[in-house]
Amino acid sequence: MAQEYDVIVVGSGITGGWAAKEFTEKGFKTLVIERGRNVEHRGSEYTDMQAPWQIENRNLVPEDFDEQGRYQLIKQKGYFKGATKQFFADDKEHPYSYPDARPFKWVRSYQLGGRSVTWGRQSLRWGPKDFVANKKDGNGVPWPIGYEDLAPWYDYVESFIGVSANRDGLEDLPDGVFQKPWEMSCAEKVIAKNLRKAYSDRRLIIGRAANITEPTAEQMKLGRGQCQARAYCKRGCTFGGYFSSLSATLPAANNTGNLTLITNAIVERVDYDEKLGRASGVSIIDTLSKEKRSYKARVVFLCASALGSVQILLNSKSATFPNGIANSSGVVGRYIMDHFSGVLADGIVPGLDDKFATGRRPIATYIPNYRHENKDGVEFVRGYGFQATAQHRTKTPTHANKAGIGVDVKEVANQPGPWKFRAIMYGEMLPYFDNVASLHPTKTDQWGIPQLHIDARVRDNERKMIRQAAKDIGEILDVGGCVDINVNTTPEDRHIAIGDRIHEMGGACMGNDPNTSVLNKWAQAHDVDNLFVTDGACMSSCATQNPSLTYMAITVRAADYAAKLMQKGSL
Amino acid sequence: MRTFSSEFIISRRVFIGSAMVLVAAPILAGTTNTEKELLVISNSGQFFSAEHMTMLADIAEIMIPLSDTAGATDAHVIPVLDAMMLTWAVAGTKKQFLQLLVKLNEIAKASFQTHYLNLGKDKRVALVSHLDKRAFANQTSELSKSYRKLKKIIFHIYYTSEPANPDFMLIPGTYRGCVTQAELDTFNARGRVS
Ligand SMILES: Cc1cc2nc3c(=O)[nH]c(=O)nc-3n(C[C@H](O)[C@H](O)[C@H](O)COP(=O)(O)OP(=O)(O)OC[C@H]3O[C@@H](n4cnc5c(N)ncnc54)[C@H](O)[C@@H]3O)c2cc1C
Repeated sequence: MAQEYDVIVVGSGITGGWAAKEFTEKGFKTLVIERGRNVEHRGSEYTDMQAPWQIENRNLVPEDFDEQGRYQLIKQKGYFKGATKQFFADDKEHPYSYPDARPFKWVRSYQLGGRSVTWGRQSLRWGPKDFVANKKDGNGVPWPIGYEDLAPWYDYVESFIGVSANRDGLEDLPDGVFQKPWEMSCAEKVIAKNLRKAYSDRRLIIGRAANITEPTAEQMKLGRGQCQARAYCKRGCTFGGYFSSLSATLPAANNTGNLTLITNAIVERVDYDEKLGRASGVSIIDTLSKEKRSYKARVVFLCASALGSVQILLNSKSATFPNGIANSSGVVGRYIMDHFSGVLADGIVPGLDDKFATGRRPIATYIPNYRHENKDGVEFVRGYGFQATAQHRTKTPTHANKAGIGVDVKEVANQPGPWKFRAIMYGEMLPYFDNVASLHPTKTDQWGIPQLHIDARVRDNERKMIRQAAKDIGEILDVGGCVDINVNTTPEDRHIAIGDRIHEMGGACMGNDPNTSVLNKWAQAHDVDNLFVTDGACMSSCATQNPSLTYMAITVRAADYAAKLMQKGSL
Repeated sequence: MRTFSSEFIISRRVFIGSAMVLVAAPILAGTTNTEKELLVISNSGQFFSAEHMTMLADIAEIMIPLSDTAGATDAHVIPVLDAMMLTWAVAGTKKQFLQLLVKLNEIAKASFQTHYLNLGKDKRVALVSHLDKRAFANQTSELSKSYRKLKKIIFHIYYTSEPANPDFMLIPGTYRGCVTQAELDTFNARGRVS
């Protein structure tokens, strides 16, 4: 007999951790099912207390990963190192599919805590304009909620996770409940000041980080301490200085006594009771024994990450839903989005040779989207922002990769160089119906689950944005006071791998119309009342801001709604 | 003759089945041949022989010599490399490095009619310096590839070592974005920013 819970939460990452906390704190017996292994907060997998010389293989990943074709999609990435490799999924072990001409990057963390362990912690609210964009320009499905629906939930989430940020007073990037912001470097301050003088719409602000600078009593009670400016977050944080499921939501859920947690269990499908017309629970495969089991619950929350949840939905076939549960509209898997780049720029900030920075700030600076309106005669809709930084002075390079040995080259290496400001575009990709994730007809993974096939690409609107963003950032750096400016753009004919910004979303979008959307305004399936999808799959558009804070706000709002219905007995 | 014995012990992970065992690398012990200005290492490493270790330690020290700041020997570059040959390097890299040492001896014999380790310091420096120039000028040969790879890993190990990072702070406490040299020196001296 399957065991019965009030709520099943699939996934223990950023959104799953939140769903678990909310339901357990409201008194519901909650089962969290996680496909990855258990990871202990402050356990042996955390490498944050190791100095560079103490890290295994001096932070290099073993060479045989390459020979064995492991981690090929992320091997060049700065976040994938010897000290962090345990927190990233190997695409060889966990394959997915894409058209040869259009590689898709699906960066995953399959362990307890998911990508809450490895995320960059930039925590930005969406603004009112972001929620009306689809309706305004007719792309995708209009959002069924607006900023005001989420605002109190943003407050709630920020208070708990701890966001260190400046109150910038920007209409399009609303302020929230903030702790003390991180300081800008002198070079960043120069640019910020020059931009403020020259533009009414373009700002350089300090990033908004889920790293705590003024721990609250609630945070300290969970064992979290002030961020120590080490910027080793992706190795796990012994201080609990940044928000993760491991440091915050799961301990809070566990404290209630209402949490049951299962790891190494892949949810294969949501089970559907044809008689009752409801989800009855989920079926899982034990990753180690490959044994199958079922669990029952009154409510199922899918929080397996956008594409993870899409895969589960599509794979949950029944007589009523031959194309996957909650898919009467045929929209499950549609409108896959990610932020995209295509412009990288840098410039030297002159004249600060007697100044230095010290400590490692855990966040960059940010130029928020200033192109919501169609101004300057541009021929695209939506806009872009830039993640940027001049946190430290550059260092003169060593001669590791060029000719030269001996005392002379040693003495000139690693000396303070100029301040260099770097910026990377984050553009808003439109929701395209034809950017689609589907189940591959023949390919399966080692557990026999059909692989997800993801076919997504940027189109004309995004290419136009890249052209304009290149012009803009060149000008911004110039006006900001930089010299020796370089602007690199991705050639028009080169595929831009979607997923590379790791903000993949869509696939089960929210909307008011059950014929054109999968979820209603509560992230509840139109077709199945007791099924909710609150990770990035529910997003109807992608804006330009890093999305996880919005996923969290949507999750707690949906959990609150579901809990009220459960208390009333109508769920 | 000066006796050289490093206090340095490194640990590496060896996987035997699924069990992880911590194994201490041998202490790098050796004597200095003052005439040749050569540190002669007497113990084999875990991967390299004592002779290989001697050659490699010498090459690393020629690349990154002791000056006002630590050199490659003080930074224990070669014992670390030796351990990493078992935990990081693939068979191809192991072969490349061993063949590079063979090649270096061949070049020494062709140029000076004797083994690399029999050469005086100035000749060894000249030889490695020449090889460095050639390896970057013409990057297609196997010798160039092996040399550049060895150089890269030697530099990596050196610049991630404790002696090469005297101001490293594991726990800075906070970040300051605009400080003077004097303030920086104060923070570095106390090993904390906050
Ligand atoms: C390097 C990096 C930097 C990032 N920086 C930022 C940033 O600065 N700001 C920001 O907003 N976002 C950032 N992100 C993205 C952010 O991590 C994700 O948006 C966020 O984690 C999504 O939360 P989630 O709960 O939907 O998914 P995840 O956190 O990925 O969690 C999903 C969980 O579900 C589990 N799971 C998946 N499938 C199944 C299944 N079938 N059965 C059971 N369990 C399953 C997974 O193992 C995982 O634990 C970054 C990500 C990375 C990797």
